[in-house]
Amino acid sequence: MPTSPFDRLLGNRRRLVYGVAGAVALAALLLAPHLSLSGFTLTWLTTALLLAVRAQAWNFIGGYTGYAAFGNVAFYGLGAYGTAVAMTRLHWPFIPSMLAGALLAAAYSVLIGLPVLRMRGQYFAIATLGVAEATRELVSSPQLSGLTAGPTGINLPFFRPAGLTPLQAAEAGTRYFYLAAVALLVLVVAATWLLTRTKLGHSLVAIREDEDAAHMLGINTTWAKVAAFALSAFFTGLVGGHYAYWRTFILPEEVFNIRYTLDAILGAVLGGPGTVVGPVLGGFSYDALSTYLTFSKPFGFDLGQFHVAILGVFIVVVIVFLPRGIADLLGRRRFHWGIFLENIRKNRA
Amino acid sequence: MPEPILATRAASKVFGGLAAVNSVDMEMEPGQILGLIGPNGAGKTTFVNLVTNLSPATSGQVFFKRREITAWPPHRIARAGLARTFQVVKPFRRMSVRENAAIGAMFGAGGRRRSAREATRRAEEVLEFVGLGAEQEKQADQLTLAGMKRLELAKALAMEPEVLFLDEVMAGLNQKEIEAAMTLIRAINARGVSILVIEHVMKAIIGLCHHVVVLNYGKKLAEGAPEQVLNDPLVVEAYLGSKYAERARAARKPE
Amino acid sequence: MILTLGQSLVNAILLSGMLALVALGFSIVWGVLKVINLAHGSFIMLGAYITFTCWSAFGLDPFLTIPISMLALFLVGYGIQAGIINWVIRAPLLVTFLLTFGLDIVLVNLALFVWKGDVRSVSPAYAGNGFTLFFNPATEQGIQVPYVRLAAFAISLLLAAALHLFMSRTRLGRAIQATGQDKDAAQLSGVRVAPTYALTFAIGAALAGAAGSLISLMQPFDPGMGGGYRLRAFIIVVLGGLGSIPGVIMGAALFALVDVLVGISPLAPLKDGVAFAMLVVVLIIRPSGLAGKAFY
Repeated sequence: MPTSPFDRLLGNRRRLVYGVAGAVALAALLLAPHLSLSGFTLTWLTTALLLAVRAQAWNFIGGYTGYAAFGNVAFYGLGAYGTAVAMTRLHWPFIPSMLAGALLAAAYSVLIGLPVLRMRGQYFAIATLGVAEATRELVSSPQLSGLTAGPTGINLPFFRPAGLTPLQAAEAGTRYFYLAAVALLVLVVAATWLLTRTKLGHSLVAIREDEDAAHMLGINTTWAKVAAFALSAFFTGLVGGHYAYWRTFILPEEVFNIRYTLDAILGAVLGGPGTVVGPVLGGFSYDALSTYLTFSKPFGFDLGQFHVAILGVFIVVVIVFLPRGIADLLGRRRFHWGIFLENIRKNRA
Repeated sequence: MPEPILATRAASKVFGGLAAVNSVDMEMEPGQILGLIGPNGAGKTTFVNLVTNLSPATSGQVFFKRREITAWPPHRIARAGLARTFQVVKPFRRMSVRENAAIGAMFGAGGRRRSAREATRRAEEVLEFVGLGAEQEKQADQLTLAGMKRLELAKALAMEPEVLFLDEVMAGLNQKEIEAAMTLIRAINARGVSILVIEHVMKAIIGLCHHVVVLNYGKKLAEGAPEQVLNDPLVVEAYLGSKYAERARAARKPE
Repeated sequence: MILTLGQSLVNAILLSGMLALVALGFSIVWGVLKVINLAHGSFIMLGAYITFTCWSAFGLDPFLTIPISMLALFLVGYGIQAGIINWVIRAPLLVTFLLTFGLDIVLVNLALFVWKGDVRSVSPAYAGNGFTLFFNPATEQGIQVPYVRLAAFAISLLLAAALHLFMSRTRLGRAIQATGQDKDAAQLSGVRVAPTYALTFAIGAALAGAAGSLISLMQPFDPGMGGGYRLRAFIIVVLGGLGSIPGVIMGAALFALVDVLVGISPLAPLKDGVAFAMLVVVLIIRPSGLAGKAFY
């Protein structure tokens, strides 16, 4: 595995530093619900964690494999719909339903990936964008409305453990969905870390660096790319399922909204694609910050209606000044403002 | 005569009506160093791409160890024991030298029985063998051109191939580096690897090859022992003719 | 039945002109700058709203607003390229892709803020007028040809012809072509790349503005209208092959035909899905597009 800027900075101490930092972060995340934080704060943290998971999920195909996937929202939506259908029509419990939704997304990614992953560069990017649009149309089409209820959406059952009053259930739910998000994060980071130690992980990076050379060295590139795409789809689908049960109501326009593709990519790019922790940090901090900006009314200015516009502005600023993410800053021995100008000078015409 | 380890039958590759490789029959014996020469644009690299199926043959057949591999995907051919280098080097730029070679060890002919960790050990041995032992930690794009050519070789060798295609590994190297490369190729051959050498450096062809095949305009023009082939009037004309033509064209070109 | 097919054919022809205009600007930006401009749909949307505002607030005839749309978007395009995209033009693909997407989001939200999310339409007094071909007095049916669509078709082709003349006959046009084919060689022969890029992008945006103005006359729209046109532009360019004006027109004609035929079939609700499937098939059999490579 190529070393990330973090690794180079830490040198031989990196195992220890990662271990300690990971343990501290996990302990903090697990303690948070006991700190008598407000429901609002826990909800805020939950959405940020979910974005961290989606950014890391995109990282499998976009970061490690170097394929600019712009259609991951399709897997998010399918995960949400798979979960909703399993819970409402089959009356399965939540966790098996969420798994079913994620597996549906993964199966779909294999089906789509076989033709689409033959394309490279811009063609792949726009083809996946098209997949997402077409999937939304498919899910809201009248032909499938018997299953998906088309544009009317699906109501999921409420989180309601036996013996709790509705108010108690709502409070327990906030904690439950927060902890479920932490669990998803642990899962996706563990999966990424394991991946970097397997042959599959190495083959993905080789494909990113030079696909023809990788092929000639004996890598079954089709299989490896499809595997990366399916991993990406699976974890994105899990988050979709979580969202569906948490929000208890889903609509095609909502769960197939393109911004769920974009914020995941932004998170990964911001934190450093192709690393184990970068996308998690990038996704979490972007979401936490943008939600804060939206609700805190900086300088008395209500930004609520600009929630999505903030995403756009963030993208523009990050891309222009830090096209290689925060990792690029941290990887340098010394910070100076010239780094921003340097990046611009390198990439302009 | 022993059974050929690699053979093509009427192999052709057509690009938009132009036959870049035109019905070539070629055989390679086990343990041989076979030279493939010809003027620029004769179709040598296209031939290599055809055999390794990076760009599939338009017609004809390719056999490797008696099995027809014409339609096999490149990775399957690689795993069966046929490795190649690229004329324009293709290092995995943001990986270390060691990781580059480890990829070959992980997925080549010997890859199935190795874990990622064992592959790294194998990569270290191969890098030592090709003379990159001291530069394993470097990122691949930090190497010199000669270093990158050695890395190409290391990646291919790490695959434990039975047949190795070397596409102009000496182009751009100086006299001393060429000598070193020749020694290295002989050492690889001594380990039992059959080698196909594509080269413009005639000294290397004469010094290394047991047998030489000449391509011109995609067709096989001649073959035989190196000295004999290089004195063949047809071959001389193909080379000198094209060289004279090149010079004349260069002279006409305005500054 | 024949009448329905005939009507579909006429619809397809009229639609193809507008679609060619939608794809033209996208195509030259992609071909010359090698940037897939994901904000292209928003430029079209802005064109539609400029026409809407001029018509509803100042009573200007919608067709007369086309030059206004074009000029405004020319300036917007020039500014965005010179001021933002140009800074990352040599960065990897993901970067420009994400950047133009970010710009798209900003423009859509700006439009939501200024014009609100309501569905609008531009309907001058003559909007419903047209003439009938092959009128059968017995059944009182025929093939309808609305004036507005016919005019949009003519204007689209006129603009395509003007672009062709500009690219092949003027110094600037040739500089753009040269830059698109080989940036470094063009630079060596004295072309300044950054302003050429900005000019190309501005022309692309102006064409999108004209397309938006025409679309506003033909169908209702809202700030989110651009996404669909962006996908259409991409499919058309791929169908026709990157880098040629006739290719774009051919691609638009083919797309319009399929679009209209799917529209009268049971697959109608999956129109975009069908278009997308078409794209994937073309990319797999002919990655360089049906018309192959040419360069304006």
